[in-house]
Amino acid sequence: MLVFTRRRDEAIVIGDGIEVRVLRTGKDAVRLGVTAPYDVPVHRREVYDAVCAANQSAAAAPAPSIVYLAGRLRLHPPLEPVD
Amino acid sequence: MGTPAELEIVTRFGTFTVDTDDIVMFAHGLPGFEQCRRFVLVSAPSLDPFTCLHGIDAPEPSFLTLDPRRALPSYHTPLGDGDRHRLGLTGTETLLWLAVVHIDGEAACVNLKAPIVINPERMVGVQVMVADTAYAADHLLDGS
Repeated sequence: MLVFTRRRDEAIVIGDGIEVRVLRTGKDAVRLGVTAPYDVPVHRREVYDAVCAANQSAAAAPAPSIVYLAGRLRLHPPLEPVD
Repeated sequence: MGTPAELEIVTRFGTFTVDTDDIVMFAHGLPGFEQCRRFVLVSAPSLDPFTCLHGIDAPEPSFLTLDPRRALPSYHTPLGDGDRHRLGLTGTETLLWLAVVHIDGEAACVNLKAPIVINPERMVGVQVMVADTAYAADHLLDGS
């Protein structure tokens, strides 16, 4: 891992067009500003990890009974056409 | 354009035949399955009202999916600029929204927090990830 000491308003540049800038520092937190091209998704680590875990768990589960699941949905009104 | 070819896919929800024209590209895969970029969305009477989003690259992840408004009619998650760009939106497209179904013991849930969105006009998709949403990752299917 590369380690940098940065002060407020200082930045690092990653590759072509990605910048991470320190906007504010505090006792236990720093506020970062990330500039990246649109084709580079940027996510909070814990949010990404939670979606990974949810996807992996959903993909690994045995196939449920579609009829049983659909029965649960009948409690809801039919779907309106897409706006 | 080449002639579409048929593709047989084997999922835990059944075996289906799809067209190679129906392949949806996820440029970054899905979280947890980043190496799988190509998916097909299977609709079939045996799945209705659900659909199966099936990855055709290894490890071929398969998800049971549902229009999130079937679970919560008022459902709405805004798309950020990055996702709009990655979906190639111009503003007039009708998008396909999918919530991943998962079974947790006796409970059947849908992930309303991280919906999958497909632009059918470009056949590209993304999974939306927002930190500050009121929607649950484990919204009960019959829990309205």
